[in-house]
Amino acid sequence: MKSVLLNAFPRSQTRGRKVKHLRAAGRIPAVVYGGQSKPENLELVSKEMEDLIHHSASENILVDLAVDKSKRLALVQEVQHHPLSGKVLHVDFHEVSETEKVTVMVPVESIGEAAGVKTGGGVLEHVLFKIKVRALPKDLPEQIIVDVTSLELGKSLHLGEIKAPAGVEILGDKKVTVISVALPKTEAEEAAEAAVPAAGDVEMLKEKKEDGTEGAAPAKPGDKAAPAKAGDKAAAGKPGEKAAAKPGDKAPAAAAAGDKKAAAPAEKKK
Amino acid sequence: MALQPAKVKYRKMHRGNRAGIAYRGSTVAFGEYGLMALERCWMDAKQIEAARVSIARHMKRHGKMWIRIFPQKSFTKKPLETRMGKGKAPVEGWVAVVRPANVLFEVDGVTEAIARESLRLAATKLPIKTKFISRHHRAS
Repeated sequence: MKSVLLNAFPRSQTRGRKVKHLRAAGRIPAVVYGGQSKPENLELVSKEMEDLIHHSASENILVDLAVDKSKRLALVQEVQHHPLSGKVLHVDFHEVSETEKVTVMVPVESIGEAAGVKTGGGVLEHVLFKIKVRALPKDLPEQIIVDVTSLELGKSLHLGEIKAPAGVEILGDKKVTVISVALPKTEAEEAAEAAVPAAGDVEMLKEKKEDGTEGAAPAKPGDKAAPAKAGDKAAAGKPGEKAAAKPGDKAPAAAAAGDKKAAAPAEKKK
Repeated sequence: MALQPAKVKYRKMHRGNRAGIAYRGSTVAFGEYGLMALERCWMDAKQIEAARVSIARHMKRHGKMWIRIFPQKSFTKKPLETRMGKGKAPVEGWVAVVRPANVLFEVDGVTEAIARESLRLAATKLPIKTKFISRHHRAS
């Protein structure tokens, strides 16, 4: 991967509102870290950075950061985008040495039409979109291109079968599937997917009973709230019932709750 | 097959809020192309199903499709000619809370032209504005 010259300027604004003003002025906040020197806050010209991303195959870009007449070789570590507009919000640069190997995630791209798709009507499935590679910065590929022309129906391409470019080591389990050609859907499968099942009720994990005995959980002996006392508001709902509820009465809470419910409409009518 | 949860802890829910934009679920994660919401709504299970059917019919058993939203929020409706009060009404249906930038559907294994057309047809079944996105170009 060739390095691209990118102009950057030291940045003093680090807090929210000031950074927002910075973006409004056509600059992008960035940071560079790693290597021997200290981390430094930077700002980039928005158009320059967006053009750079737009013209490269992936967001793995090697840049020569020109900051105050000095140059720092760095890899684009992360680009934050606005979820809706896709505009670049912030860029992380990781300073690297020309002589030290780095580990990065590189996107995998497929070329050609797989035999299983062309003749068998299969579906080409990308299982892994990025693979981990280790190489010197100058040897890093922007993306790894895999030819899938010979891939038959039901066959897969594994990590171990991918030919790495010169000077690049592919990391990870060699048995992991990267691309496969899946069998096409049968008519029976499609019909089963489209079939309308009987609209069943949703199962409840916790539900109150709706037959008037709402909250009628059996009172536990140790439950303080369970026994209804003579002074209880619920028991005192109706004058007639008040007399019935004697002090020390051990009526379950359900009865009290039921009384309260029954008493409420009667009170409203009055 | 209208989507609805198999099991819930509580049947009736608060309405909640749907302010802001989506940060989670705002990128194409499984397929190559996707349909992104540009507005907010409660998307009905029926609307999701109608969109799914239109994608499946246009792709004609080729390719693969993912539904990235699920209607896990219940909504209730009072019966007709009922006086107000007497508690929260029975559950009427299920909705997914959709915010701007939510990816609703994804497709893979088809050409861009087919993906665009099938997602366009799906978008006509939805109550909000949407846009076509791809894994490589965020704002297409």
